[in-house]
Amino acid sequence: MKAFNPAAAFTRAHMPELPAEAAPARNRVRLLALGIFAVLLLLAGRAVQLAFSGDPLAEPRGAVIAAIPRADIVDRNGVLLATTVRAFALTAEPHRVWNAEETADALRGAFRDLDRATLVRRLNDRSRRLVYLRRSLTPEQRDAVLALGLAGIGFQAEDRRVYPQGELAAHTLGFTDVDLNPLSGVERGLDAEIREAGQAGRSVRLSLDVRMQYALETELEAAARASGASGASAILLDGRSGEVFALASWPTYDANAAGAASEQARRDRVAGDLHELGSTIKPFTIAMALEEEVTNSRELFDLTQAFEIDSSVIQDHEPVEGLASLRDILAHSSNIGAARLALRLGGARQRAYLERLGLTAPSTLELGRNQAPLAPQARGRRDVAGLGFGYGLAATQSTLAGAYTVFTNQGARVAPTLVARGPDAEIERTPVFSAEVTRQLMAYMRATVTDGTGRAADVPGLMVAGKTGTAELFQGAAGYDESRNFSSFAGVFPANDPRYVIVVALDDVGEGAVGGAIAAPAVARTLRRIAPMLGLRVEPRAPAR
Amino acid sequence: MAKAQLRRVLQIAAAVLVVALAIGLYKAKTDAARTEARVRALQHEISEGESDLRALRAEIAELESPERIETLAEDRLGAVVGSEAAALPESAIAQRLPAPQAPPAQE
Repeated sequence: MKAFNPAAAFTRAHMPELPAEAAPARNRVRLLALGIFAVLLLLAGRAVQLAFSGDPLAEPRGAVIAAIPRADIVDRNGVLLATTVRAFALTAEPHRVWNAEETADALRGAFRDLDRATLVRRLNDRSRRLVYLRRSLTPEQRDAVLALGLAGIGFQAEDRRVYPQGELAAHTLGFTDVDLNPLSGVERGLDAEIREAGQAGRSVRLSLDVRMQYALETELEAAARASGASGASAILLDGRSGEVFALASWPTYDANAAGAASEQARRDRVAGDLHELGSTIKPFTIAMALEEEVTNSRELFDLTQAFEIDSSVIQDHEPVEGLASLRDILAHSSNIGAARLALRLGGARQRAYLERLGLTAPSTLELGRNQAPLAPQARGRRDVAGLGFGYGLAATQSTLAGAYTVFTNQGARVAPTLVARGPDAEIERTPVFSAEVTRQLMAYMRATVTDGTGRAADVPGLMVAGKTGTAELFQGAAGYDESRNFSSFAGVFPANDPRYVIVVALDDVGEGAVGGAIAAPAVARTLRRIAPMLGLRVEPRAPAR
Repeated sequence: MAKAQLRRVLQIAAAVLVVALAIGLYKAKTDAARTEARVRALQHEISEGESDLRALRAEIAELESPERIETLAEDRLGAVVGSEAAALPESAIAQRLPAPQAPPAQE
């Protein structure tokens, strides 16, 4: 017998019966509850996992990258050339300045270059909350201002570009403005790479070597001062890889105070100045003639007679006596010989070679500006003949150095670069001459240094080969001025295993200051200094008798 | 009865779990915020350190510049640059070496 349960009976009697239609709603509520429970369970599980797995923030995060707006620039050996350091902008809150005149006077005690009137005007400008008074202060300068205890004067942290080597390689490195915007040199030419490297916390490695750079700059300056040149330029590069070891322009300036330097001093003459190349182009004329088989090494030329072409007389400064070979034409720098070979070659073939040598296009150096050559098409026989000995084509010294790399790569040209290349880097080579022709030309250029116009460039043990160049300066309507010369020497060494290219040029030197007399000795002095850095041995000088 | 009790227990457990989770979340967030602040402070410290390091590297580069080294070598060691001095032949080195000294007499 079933016992009577009054409570259950009461519940059954008083609880309303749920209608059958409510069943789906009930199921949805249950489903929702189940879902919430599942989420809670997941959260609980994750909490337990976190509790037992330790602090996720304590996990190693990898190296902390200290990003900077512009990366350090270093030379090929890691020597610092440019960096970004902490600096301070001197600011003022005009409404907090007590006495603008007194504050201005006090600040001028620390910074003589500040203009008092401008300073007072800015300090009185109550319409602005904050005014800038001076940028790029060093920590020492900031401390000096702090010591003044001026009301309303403050500082804002900012970055400043610094060039620790001062004047060294100033034209190559270039400089930035106070907001770190690049204005010239590598700073501008490699701007994207420098910014990217800065964000990644690494440095940009150039192919320059500060030791060689210093040697080249000091010898270039000495030669320029001694010859009374108005400017000078020089470049030294590894002709096989195209890496530039040193790039010098004179006069120079301190990149840390670029604003204070004159326009003349800031001018990059290696990749920015155009000059008719003069006789340094003759090796190419002879190589073209040999390559096109319009002559051969056995042919002899009578160069004793000047010849006229389209009312212009072509003659040699020092006539070559007797019959002359191609070797003699180069060693004695005969204009007549080079002109004859150029005429045999013809304008079209000559132009094609000049283009392949890169002499009609701007250099590819990673600088802010590479001046494009002035290379008009030869319009007549006179132009073709002139081009044969270096007139009618104005190019930069970096372009010329690039062309001379054909002698270090068995006839192929390599574009110069300022970026350090790895040992396995792929190098693009443009074939110009055959290996046999370049070997022949190396012998002729070596003879130019041992027996010809470039004797002063010889350094015992280094086997320097090269060519002197002297071009009269063009004075517009007045024509060429014989009393003003552009003198240069372009060389390759060592001749038995050609690898390095050097070009030294001095601008606006006097009459008689030919390349062999002023540029060639500068090359010799430079090479004596840098040979040990290149692993080459200079033989002792022969004892004086 | 057992079903109702079980439901009650589950409800209490869920409430406890929610409270525990809330407290845990608060603690975790507080710890995370504290750690983040510490990380930020350390990163600022690293940035300051890097900045000082760059300034010091610049100073070192300036002190090691070829021009300064050459001046010091000339002033203090009497050295001259390569272009002004010929390399010595091997035979000349012996002449430049100090003469051999007799060993001190033994008592």
